[in-house]
Amino acid sequence: MIQVEGLTKFYGEFVAVNELSFTVQPGEVMGLVGPNGAGKTTTLRCLSGIIPPTRGSVRVGGHDIVRDAIAAKKQFAFFTDEPRLFDYLTVWQHLNFVARIYQVPDYERIGRELLEELEIANKQDALPGELSRGMKQKLAIACGFLHSPKVIYFDEPLTGLDPLGIRRMKDSILKRARDGAAIIISSHLLHLVEEICSRLLILKNGRKVIDGTLEEVTRKFSEQPGDANLEEIFFRATSETGTGAPAVPPLLPH
Amino acid sequence: MIAALLYLQYHTFRNRLVGRFKRLKQPKYLVGAIVGGLYFYFYFFRYLFRGFGGRPAVNMSFSSGHLLLFELAGALVLFVIVVLAWIIPHERAALTFTEAEVAFLFPAPVTRRTLIHFKLVRSQFGILFTTLLFTLFSRRFGGNAWIHAFGWWLILSTLNLHFLGSSFARTLLLDRGISNRLRRLLVFGLAAVMAGAVLVWARQTLPELRSADTTGFDEILAYAQRVLTAGPALYLLYPFRLVVRPFLAQDAAAFFVALAPVLLLLVLHYLWVIYSDVAFEEASVEASQKLAVRLTAVRAGNWQAARKNQKARRPWFKLAATGPYATALFWKNLIGVGQVLSVRLWISIIVVVAVFGVIFAGKAQSHGLSIIAAFLIAIALGYSLLLGPQLLRLDFRNDLPLADILKTFPMRGWQIALGEILAPVAVLAALQWLLLLVGAGLILYLPVKQEALFLAIALGAAVLLPVLDALLLLIPNAAVLLFPSWIQTGKDSPRGIEATGQRLVFALGQLLVLLLALLPAAAAFVGIFFLLYCAFGPAAAVPLASFAATIILAAEAGFGVVLLGKLFERFDVTEEHTS
Repeated sequence: MIQVEGLTKFYGEFVAVNELSFTVQPGEVMGLVGPNGAGKTTTLRCLSGIIPPTRGSVRVGGHDIVRDAIAAKKQFAFFTDEPRLFDYLTVWQHLNFVARIYQVPDYERIGRELLEELEIANKQDALPGELSRGMKQKLAIACGFLHSPKVIYFDEPLTGLDPLGIRRMKDSILKRARDGAAIIISSHLLHLVEEICSRLLILKNGRKVIDGTLEEVTRKFSEQPGDANLEEIFFRATSETGTGAPAVPPLLPH
Repeated sequence: MIAALLYLQYHTFRNRLVGRFKRLKQPKYLVGAIVGGLYFYFYFFRYLFRGFGGRPAVNMSFSSGHLLLFELAGALVLFVIVVLAWIIPHERAALTFTEAEVAFLFPAPVTRRTLIHFKLVRSQFGILFTTLLFTLFSRRFGGNAWIHAFGWWLILSTLNLHFLGSSFARTLLLDRGISNRLRRLLVFGLAAVMAGAVLVWARQTLPELRSADTTGFDEILAYAQRVLTAGPALYLLYPFRLVVRPFLAQDAAAFFVALAPVLLLLVLHYLWVIYSDVAFEEASVEASQKLAVRLTAVRAGNWQAARKNQKARRPWFKLAATGPYATALFWKNLIGVGQVLSVRLWISIIVVVAVFGVIFAGKAQSHGLSIIAAFLIAIALGYSLLLGPQLLRLDFRNDLPLADILKTFPMRGWQIALGEILAPVAVLAALQWLLLLVGAGLILYLPVKQEALFLAIALGAAVLLPVLDALLLLIPNAAVLLFPSWIQTGKDSPRGIEATGQRLVFALGQLLVLLLALLPAAAAFVGIFFLLYCAFGPAAAVPLASFAATIILAAEAGFGVVLLGKLFERFDVTEEHTS
């Protein structure tokens, strides 16, 4: 569903993403993790056609994001870390607008169901300025899910959600994966990745450190089976000393 | 403690200044600074410097009668401002702090009085800057630069303290159970009683203003002077006249004589503010949050979001779920336009126009009025072309901060470009057609024989104007995609002299592009007009030539939309953020 081959992105002379290749199949949830500045957001932006890759190819649902951008863009939804909404459109007007952009004839029924599911049905006539951060996030999600995307990108999806919202968001992601969507989640919340992702891709300095199922990754970075959780794996994988040496910083300074 | 606050203020100012100088390394800021500097020098500063030995732009000398009139007019303006300051605001007293200041200062061991002092010191930065601007302007008309500067400073500082004191007083009234409505009613009633007293006194004491007097401006001024310098108005305006007087002083001696009473007023205001024991913290926290939201919106070029009272607007038409993609953006931006130009406003405009139309129709003989109205319509049309595309920014200039979202839409670049500019084009065209309609109606009452020719011109303009609007809107939209950091959008919109210079360079560039774009259409218009003029006369030649010019402009606009779409497709959102 998502095929990335040799994706490279330069900002001037700075290499933000370097020769990145991976595939995400329908039903898979891939966690994209890495330290700050690793290239996660740039990768997601290239995958969603927001910025053009310098080299390499990205295919979404079989369509090249550069050469066949329209067909590719119809396949996915991209949720940014900060909900990006139009200040002067109400909740329902956002859905109406997105329905026309993605040509969703049955948007009224789907929209109502989504608003009910996300518990913002009573805010239909509210402007984004009247919504809390979490509600804005829910509206962005409703807009994204309106055209039933087959590919979904999340950039820090849990930011600003309350515990119930977090639970519902996790359920929603897993439900979409079960329905056959290919999902990429970029997050610093390793427990979220551990809980809902079936695959993991760790980036560092724009390069892929490792890509595989959680079991494969755990096996590679564990000295003995089961001796490392994802947090430890992350530190080992992104440590300066290389892959083998433990580099987990202590919680408290000695 | 105040030293720490001054330290904060000093370093904030210094670091901002250093940042401005550092960015002059970039050619775009350097060029802007040079052009902006030249502009400010030639338009303002040279008159200021000449104040210490040279001549102002317009060396106006004023008689004592004129000065008295200025003093009265200034006092009247201040009086109205002060009355409004007691009537209009409804919020509780809130000193404006930034979110960072609230976070650091409010939990800190700082007394309320220190916070007020900090606020007063900080407001002096704004007052001094405004004083400089006002002095640069007023100095153009003569007078001593330093007297103007001190005069402006005294006026602005007194007003600033009065606003603060009145906000504290409003809050105290609220705390004592006097609602905003009651307070407004009382102040308005008091102002009405004062105005009534002045009117009654004037009627009883002064000879009636005859209609013959109203024909001469000097007679009206003389009458107003008599009303305002005696009776109740004398006492009402006296404190305000004291505030204005130093500014109008003609020499140092007069200035120092006028200075003492204002300083006394200033000190009294200061004591009023300092000794008002009002809890402003809660309202300040709320105000700082609102300010932060508005600042973010303004810095992102989103003036609509920066408006205080945004209301949900109904769409102008029902958007079907399927159909051309560009319509979605058109629909969306029209809703945004509705924040400024609501349906109610449009109806009001039409009603006003209709009422005036009926009045003019009823006075068909009053050709003089019709000519004035037609002239005003022509001016309004000109301004709609000149200012309309700058003011109606519901296009890429507004949506660029959301460019990353627009780029994920399954739309081609030209579709997004078309959708973005359609709303301002439609609004401008609707306004212009309305003006033309009224103009066409007036033509029927004009004392000219060539009614057909004027109607033909109106018809030609009606066809030509929408495509001209599109062209005029395409240029700034293309510019914003080509030079995002030069235009007011993105999160780091430039400010200062260099930004003014950039805007000047930019405006000249836009004008040049527009002239180039208009050349082919103008050539076609002239050619066809002269070709048809001999055979059919001007009444037929004008609309036909306009149609031909419209076709060329429409082709250019179509090409422009495609080009704009390509520019948007190539627009790199990350480069925009890092620029």
